[in-house]
Amino acid sequence: MGIDVVEEGTKVREVLGIAFQEARGFWRHKPSSILRFHASMFDIDHVKRQDLIEQTMKDLELWESRDKKFMHLSGGQAKRLETAKVLVQRPKLAIFDEPTSQVDLRGKRKIWDKIRELRDQGSTVIVATNEVREAEYLADRVTILHQGQLVVRDSIPKLKDAIAGGDVVEIGFEDPVSDKLVAELKSLGGALTLSPEGNELRAKVSRAEDWVPKMTSASYNLGAKISSIKITEPSLDDVFLHFTGKALVDQQ
Amino acid sequence: MNRVLNLAAFNIRVLLGDPTWFILSWALFALQLAIYGSLISRLVGSNLPNYFFFYSIGLMIIVVFESAEDVGRHFVEHAHEGELPYFLSLPVSRSGFLVAQAIYGVVNTLLKVAPPLLAVLFIWGNLTVSGALFALAALFLLGLGITGTMVSLSFIAFKAVDIYMAVLAGLSALLIRFSTVFYPLAVMPNYYSPVSVLSPLTYGADLTRWVLGFDPKYLLNPVLAAVVVTAIAVSTLSLSARIVDKIIEGVKAA
Repeated sequence: MGIDVVEEGTKVREVLGIAFQEARGFWRHKPSSILRFHASMFDIDHVKRQDLIEQTMKDLELWESRDKKFMHLSGGQAKRLETAKVLVQRPKLAIFDEPTSQVDLRGKRKIWDKIRELRDQGSTVIVATNEVREAEYLADRVTILHQGQLVVRDSIPKLKDAIAGGDVVEIGFEDPVSDKLVAELKSLGGALTLSPEGNELRAKVSRAEDWVPKMTSASYNLGAKISSIKITEPSLDDVFLHFTGKALVDQQ
Repeated sequence: MNRVLNLAAFNIRVLLGDPTWFILSWALFALQLAIYGSLISRLVGSNLPNYFFFYSIGLMIIVVFESAEDVGRHFVEHAHEGELPYFLSLPVSRSGFLVAQAIYGVVNTLLKVAPPLLAVLFIWGNLTVSGALFALAALFLLGLGITGTMVSLSFIAFKAVDIYMAVLAGLSALLIRFSTVFYPLAVMPNYYSPVSVLSPLTYGADLTRWVLGFDPKYLLNPVLAAVVVTAIAVSTLSLSARIVDKIIEGVKAA
């Protein structure tokens, strides 16, 4: 955006919206007045402001609590209010710090959808989270930090592909798997392990999308008829554990 | 500037949302004046003419002092209740943030002190628009000076709140006792008067009394008092702006 963060702090804050991890303070204010104040600080159009606040509060199921004092909100409501501030603001750069901690499952999904909507409207969104499922749902790119250090940063598909043997391919054949077929599949490369058992073969590969077409061609050429293929890619949990575990080993 | 006013208004709305504290403050003022003020005035008798009036202005100085102390505490509470990081994320410069705090402090002080001042002047038959305005201006300047001092000291609270509270208690005890809040410099023994001229309250109290027509022979030179009160306001507010700029960047909620 071309703004000097040291020299032009106020300008930076004009384009930045932060939903803090802990929604604290303003004990005696009401959610509606907190949002009105926030909108006024970011020069949200006065005419549109009230409608925007009302819609955001309804979307996040805060409308019924609009006139309660902040101190009487539940942890989940306070957290949703923290998110609502950024949604009303619609900043160019939005930072959400643990946006759904203390929020129930239904509330989580609502917050996630609104964050995605914000992204689709053109905001750059940074989400700090310990919840892998949240990152998987929201992120285009994931940065994994371990003990304050950047371990890896990439898109989710690339991170998953980076785990050697992370994709598991389970193939069912009409006949028992022959040694010849196993040898042929080994010669294709790309598979870390091949485990035949009766009519089934389990293979751990790095990129299933590359290996499976080769495997089907080789099987066809040997006359081995495939009855089923199941591909399981690693979850972001696996990715996280893979990279942070590796980091731990590196440190030791 | 609009944002600074918005920020101040946000805090002031909380203040106005609960008028109990103002009513209590006015009631305490009236009670103190009615009981202690009237009795002590009789004891002082002719040694200091019109001591009741002298005392009532001193009491207002205390209200201003405590109100300015509130601003410092308010600032520290913002940090410890998690509001400060939010305020710091808003598009307002750090000096604008401080101005918003000062406006909050001024409104807080004026709300607490203006009704007692007007009541005292009315009862005393001394209520004029110019007198009331000049007196409020003097109290306002003093309030700014104390506010600046309290905000400047708030850096202690970022290390330890208990020490900050202890420093405030100690400081208020010393600044009030060693000042002309309750007794004029002219009647003080030599071992007290040199210390009392160090208290900013001395200048604020004597300036306000002079503005309201108290006998000048018991007061400091009003020009000196006005200069010192203004200098304290400007210097402590500048200092607090520097300190706020230095310390609050990177402050974490407790």
